[in-house]
Amino acid sequence: MKKYKITVNGQTYEVEVEEIGSAEPIYDAINISTQEKPKEPPKREVSKPSQAAPASKKAPSAGKISIAAPMPGTILSVKVKEGSKVSKGDVIMILEAMKMENEILAPQDGTISSIAISEGASVNTGDLLATME
Amino acid sequence: METIEQKLKNLQQKRKIVEQGGGEKRIQKQHESGKLTARERIEKLLDEGSFVEIDTFVEHRCIQFDMAETKAPGEGVVTGYGTINGKLVFVFAQDFTVIGGSLGEMHAAKIVKVMDMAMKMGAPLIGLNDSGGARIQEGVDALKGYGEIFYRNTLSSGVIPQISVILGPCAGGAVYSPALTDFVFMVSGTSKMFITGPQVIKAVTGEEVTPEDLGGARAHNQTSGVAHFMSENEEECFDQIKKLLSYLPSNNLEDPPFEETEDTNIKILPELDNIVPADPNKPYDMKDIIKMVVDKGDFFEVQSLYAQNMITGFARLAGHTVGILANQPRALAGCLDINASDKAARFIRFCDAFNIPLITFTDTPGYLPGVAQEHGGIIRHGAKLLYAYSEATVPKITVITRKAYGGAYIAMCSRHLGADQVFAWPTAEIAVMGPEGAANIIFRKEIEESSDPIATRNEKIEEYRDKFANPYQAAARGYVDDVIEPSTTRVKLVSAMEMLMSKRETRPAKKHGNIPL
Repeated sequence: MKKYKITVNGQTYEVEVEEIGSAEPIYDAINISTQEKPKEPPKREVSKPSQAAPASKKAPSAGKISIAAPMPGTILSVKVKEGSKVSKGDVIMILEAMKMENEILAPQDGTISSIAISEGASVNTGDLLATME
Repeated sequence: METIEQKLKNLQQKRKIVEQGGGEKRIQKQHESGKLTARERIEKLLDEGSFVEIDTFVEHRCIQFDMAETKAPGEGVVTGYGTINGKLVFVFAQDFTVIGGSLGEMHAAKIVKVMDMAMKMGAPLIGLNDSGGARIQEGVDALKGYGEIFYRNTLSSGVIPQISVILGPCAGGAVYSPALTDFVFMVSGTSKMFITGPQVIKAVTGEEVTPEDLGGARAHNQTSGVAHFMSENEEECFDQIKKLLSYLPSNNLEDPPFEETEDTNIKILPELDNIVPADPNKPYDMKDIIKMVVDKGDFFEVQSLYAQNMITGFARLAGHTVGILANQPRALAGCLDINASDKAARFIRFCDAFNIPLITFTDTPGYLPGVAQEHGGIIRHGAKLLYAYSEATVPKITVITRKAYGGAYIAMCSRHLGADQVFAWPTAEIAVMGPEGAANIIFRKEIEESSDPIATRNEKIEEYRDKFANPYQAAARGYVDDVIEPSTTRVKLVSAMEMLMSKRETRPAKKHGNIPL
């Protein structure tokens, strides 16, 4: 349960939000209690947001995996393009670090859905390099 | 008065009840969840018909809550001894069908008894864990049980090989017995290990995680390093255990098993001459080298998914068991880091405890730089590797295939840490640091004052490379015993091993050292 303070037209509302399940956000559990008595009832949008909640954009679609930099270094070359089909163990890019051309390998069979960096970019441990599905 | 026939019948009946465990319904449930029962597991793991059960008729003596009426056939654990490939082992298998395999006073007493026997007889102990945890009704008596098991795990450590197999849940305090043992086996989808489960974590920190993601086989084999072996099913898991045992002696006073090999010992391997790329910046797979050098190309890797920049595992060389450690240039450039140091140090200490010679293949550019490493304590974790190698008195042979720079050169079983034989390939670069970094420091003035600093710098890098990035400086001091043709590596290793079989090294008596934990 998360608590938020929301001020609408100078009125402060205390809102409790509980997330039920992680796949799709459900908004049924929103309780609104007012600290002071409001002159007007709270706006409808607060209690009943439309079905197409923007939060759904954040959730990555199922089956996507992100490939992160294992160590800090420079991207020497990118061997694939967006949409390239790769099989497990294929070299996706070369990360030069510790004077070694480290091969970044595909963790599984699939398609490259996005490439987050360009050749010559400096990356840090954990930076996103590409996503695949 | 009972007749002898009745007495015998009575015995058979009593035994049958215990062998039924939690009854047909629960056995069926166990099978439905893809798990074998405790007795089926023992049967599959041990040589056929070799298992001898002890403590069949042990009962709990708890009367709290409804426990007075609760029957627990066999006390939820099957214990005894038998053989694997003809060699004596002691085993306990928790029975999930009997009150969830929960551990109470007498359940623990059965385990403690086989542990004591394993120690006395000097034979490996295998624990098959499948338990809901402490039997809450028994209160502190259950905790006493865990404590006594931990105590014996510790006393047995380094005396007999101890193997833990997680074949169900293993949560809370129960995880510490496996953690104290030498090797932990886990099965995908079946095994779960955690101190606090997903529900508690959610309540306390709000993090949501599935049991499999939190403490499944992959999590502990890949991320935490708690487990050493992962398998797809219980049969595969038992095969792995048998394979592991084939390399190990039964106790610390025995030599590891010798297995006559058909592989020729005097074998020239021309492929090895070209395996290291001419460009020092190009990676290669160190496992290719290991597999070519050892008997029959058979390398049994330990913790293959964890800290992949450091390879550890067992193999045979001219029939003798050896423990192999190697840097992997394909992962993190072969750098040493916290996890790699930890993994290697523990493996070295196991081998040393059980008289298994160590063979080290070195190709490391150094320690992994980064704030996370420094703040994570690479200084004290890295020190474990130095400590473990220095402490080991088993035969130690090192092969430097390429980079051996700075502190990492020392750490990877250099002569200075007591290596008995150090071989270097002509591709070896043994120096304080890489040519680029070294040239910048040594020749800073010349480079700054030059009219063409870039050209001068490159010139100086080459000068340094020619002078120091080779094995001959180290060989000139005797730090490297010999620079060898890579193709002769197996021949050299076999002859060095045989020469070292009579190695004797005594150290000052002490209670124990103080490894930086």
